[in-house]
Amino acid sequence: MTTTQALPRSVTPPPRARRGRTPGARLWEASPLTYLALILGCVLSVFPIVWSFIIASRDNSAVYDMPPTPGGMLFENIDRMLANEDAAFLYGLVNSAVVSTIVTVSVIFFSSLAGFALAKLRFRGRNGLLLVIVLTMMVPTQLGIIPLYLMMVELEWTGTLQAVIVPFLVQGFGVFMMRQYALAAVSDELIEAARLDGCSTWRIYWNVVLPALRPAAAVLGLLTFMQTWNEFLWPFVVLTPDTPTVQYSLKILSSGLYQTDYTALFAGTALATLPLLVVFLVFGRQIIGGIMEGAVKS
Amino acid sequence: MSVIRRRLRTVAVAALAAGVALGSTACSKSNDDEAGEGGQVKLVLQTFSNFGYDQAIKDFEAANPTIKVEHQRMGELRDFQPKLVQWLAAGSGAGDVVGLEEGVLLQYVQNHDKFTNLLDLGAGELKANFPEWKWNNALTPDGKKLIGLGTDVGGLAMCYRKDLFQQAGLPTDRETVSQRIKTWDDYIALGREYKASGKVKAAWLDSATSLMQPYVMQNSEVFFFGKDNSFIGDTNPVIRKAWDTGLQMAAEGLTAKAQRWSADWDAAFKNNAFATIPCPAWMTEGIIAQRSGPTNAGKWDIATIPGGGGNWGGSYLAIPAQTKHPKEAYLLAKYLTSKEGHLAAFKEAGAMPSSIPGIEDPAFKGKTSEYFSGAPVGQIFGDSVKNMKPVFLGAKHQQVWETIVEPQMQAAERGQLSSAAAWTKAMDEAKKVSAG
Amino acid sequence: MSSTVGAAPPRRAATPARHRPQPRRSSYRLGRWDLKYSPYLYVAPFFVLFGIFGLFPLLYTVYVSLFDYELLSGTREFAGLENYRVLLADAQFWNAAYNTVGIFVLSTVPQLIVALLLANLLNRQMRGRTLLRMGIVVPNITSVAAVGIIFALIFADRYGLVNWLLGTVGIDPVAWRDNRYASWLAIAFMVDWRWTGYNALIYLGAMQAIPRDLYESASLDGASAWRQFWQITVPLIRPTILFTVIISTIGGFQIFTEPLMYGHGMVRGGAEHEFQTLAMYIYEQTFTGNAEYGYGAAMSWLLFLMIIIFALINFALVRRSVKGEQK
Repeated sequence: MTTTQALPRSVTPPPRARRGRTPGARLWEASPLTYLALILGCVLSVFPIVWSFIIASRDNSAVYDMPPTPGGMLFENIDRMLANEDAAFLYGLVNSAVVSTIVTVSVIFFSSLAGFALAKLRFRGRNGLLLVIVLTMMVPTQLGIIPLYLMMVELEWTGTLQAVIVPFLVQGFGVFMMRQYALAAVSDELIEAARLDGCSTWRIYWNVVLPALRPAAAVLGLLTFMQTWNEFLWPFVVLTPDTPTVQYSLKILSSGLYQTDYTALFAGTALATLPLLVVFLVFGRQIIGGIMEGAVKS
Repeated sequence: MSVIRRRLRTVAVAALAAGVALGSTACSKSNDDEAGEGGQVKLVLQTFSNFGYDQAIKDFEAANPTIKVEHQRMGELRDFQPKLVQWLAAGSGAGDVVGLEEGVLLQYVQNHDKFTNLLDLGAGELKANFPEWKWNNALTPDGKKLIGLGTDVGGLAMCYRKDLFQQAGLPTDRETVSQRIKTWDDYIALGREYKASGKVKAAWLDSATSLMQPYVMQNSEVFFFGKDNSFIGDTNPVIRKAWDTGLQMAAEGLTAKAQRWSADWDAAFKNNAFATIPCPAWMTEGIIAQRSGPTNAGKWDIATIPGGGGNWGGSYLAIPAQTKHPKEAYLLAKYLTSKEGHLAAFKEAGAMPSSIPGIEDPAFKGKTSEYFSGAPVGQIFGDSVKNMKPVFLGAKHQQVWETIVEPQMQAAERGQLSSAAAWTKAMDEAKKVSAG
Repeated sequence: MSSTVGAAPPRRAATPARHRPQPRRSSYRLGRWDLKYSPYLYVAPFFVLFGIFGLFPLLYTVYVSLFDYELLSGTREFAGLENYRVLLADAQFWNAAYNTVGIFVLSTVPQLIVALLLANLLNRQMRGRTLLRMGIVVPNITSVAAVGIIFALIFADRYGLVNWLLGTVGIDPVAWRDNRYASWLAIAFMVDWRWTGYNALIYLGAMQAIPRDLYESASLDGASAWRQFWQITVPLIRPTILFTVIISTIGGFQIFTEPLMYGHGMVRGGAEHEFQTLAMYIYEQTFTGNAEYGYGAAMSWLLFLMIIIFALINFALVRRSVKGEQK
């Protein structure tokens, strides 16, 4: 990158380059065609989910009716999920919130730290370590389940939330992703300048790198949270119905005698989605907020 | 760096620290230990789907104050089954009493060392309570070890659409219909008559594969496996006969070619795609009524299954060998599979009793179904269970049927490949699985 | 990925901090220590946790793959490489591998290209920015299993939405499961529906880090928007593109839930295994029937190898076709 050096603390850009009259500015205005394409993309994205909400509002015989138009049983179906004497669904929501929050915060923190080190610090074995991290992601998940379960039995963690938290506090995916972002988003000059300023590596990470990685960290956070929230296989293996995650509760509450209660399932899915919307808003602001700042990184 | 951002970061780190500490104590509904106070024994009961045990467990606990039961519902069978396989292999995690679906049970009869012999715990006295076939399925071939006690059964009847029958000019009342379909040949003849009327668009039967299981079970003492568990599916003439008959019906346009459990099959009920379907008890309210919807209430009725006896589905309770409380676990399993337990589950989840006293009890026997035009379901399904002859199924019966033969037969039905080709493929695959 | 330049040489960075009146020597030592060892400290949490929870399962799987190990019966006999030998001659394994690769190619190529274009469109000033950005990641919000039921409805043979739409314009219904390639297409559609927005968001994050003045000067030179996209945006986010390619390869080869739900929850994956993937076959072997864990473990290892090989191939392909900065 050939641009001028910035001082370490001036991560926030000078107002000049932000928007306005520079010749390139019109490039950043969206054309009507852009809107059209994006709106089409959104409609396609949202349609199956809207459909699942519609099913949530129908009775069980109308699950397969075309065209999909809403019915009037949404609240009855939601009631069926909630009106359950173990309150399994609410427990599931709370537990999932705890698990997903911890995992997300941890993944962001450790991933950005390791990603920064792998992208921007020079040390022996760096590339080898990166390779190992990438390799860890390639291990087929299903086969890990049996030995991991055996470990949980040994640790006496089965049926506890640690079992679905601790093994996932770090993820190769996150480290790899942050490393790739850091390559581009944090300029070497910036780090060098900070060093000249006498910053320790830790301070460089905390004051220079982390702010620069913020949009990417928000993306990682959003994706991690959603994935943890929707994870089913492992929680189902290692937890018990006493300590369910939300997907686990959903499964239990929608099983009838030898068949699935689809409307209850979709009503529950709709309910389970609401907390994610909050997460969306939180991270969404970060992602959007990052855009203008990120523009003049180096 | 703004103050807000710094604060956010501090909060995040604090949340992480707090969260890790919290992890161990978060939301759990019960904090009971293995053994409760005052010498109480805690039993874990694991079931899939919905066995309808809430009330039965309360009653059991009231009668046995020293035993506390924790009922863990495990979702659907296909989620529970792999989990159970792991638990049994790991030697830990399985409940003191577990629900086993019939097909799963058959596998464990062959690999029975993971389960307690219920005969050692005194289950022999219960033999007379159950239909012979239900009891035998859970018994090792040498008759020395019993690993499961029957919970529910499916029974089998013929559900049919009165309105479509009427349109085609067929009789509609269930006695006459039952008389007209006494044998499978009668049933097919009636189907031809139905189609020949030319007045109905709906097919006669949902799928060619529907008649396979009941037909073979009524006409043979063995199915895919001989009593030594060797594969005989390719040489058992009854199977081939059922296969050919089913596909012949399909060729004549009598079947709707709907693949069971697919979205199309589910939707077919509401779309009036077929007039008859062999139905076990759990399918009536749970699937047919649910899928056909309120608009079709009163249009369905239930007749006797051709051949008179039959069963589809049903489960057992077993006691894994890893339990620390076999005696108490047996008490629980025994209670839940007694007449009282059966009737409570029937009341709660519609699970049909598998014990003779349960079937004979007025609470079940007198049961009629409003949705199915007031059909005496207790009587009809009860008879089908009692009329069923014991059939030896073998450990891999369900695997061979559901994951190999049925899909291949359906493929042939849809015309994806010829009957002969599908048969060869199915048999080859089944042999491979049986040998492995 | 060849960007190397790391920290400044130790001596310069060790220059004592101006505002800290510490003795020169200790600070020097701290600085050296910091430079030399702190990187290891930063990557340590990953390796410690992975070492505990990742490595054991991995090694255990290797070990198990050398046994004839049935979970159901508890049989456990050393078999050496027998599982691998049988596997290489197992037609169903190769069929599953074929399906997996086919679905992978059908889904990943369009997915990443569309994601790149979408991200480029999203990287502008517009009204409803947040809404549109979030709109495209919405597919990730619900569980695959739940949405899988919806897709089973969309692609049902007789009463499905797509065949119904085709019917209205006079096209014969498609056999969405009996036709191998139709089933791949439908599954690829499910995958793309879920992951295109996700990848677009990842690209967007990287695009935001590109200095705007680069575009401004290019613009002054008269470069069209399209040229800027290919000559500035794409090369500059190359690390991220490589990242998504590898991630998609890994995810694509392990595809399981989508084809499972598509086949109504049966691991068979179609009457003739038209869309049974490797992960489904592993599951079938490991958890159903005799629960042949050893065989499943061996298959996982072959899958692992395949993922590595394909990730390397894709990595090389993309690196060659997407020119990075002039380094």
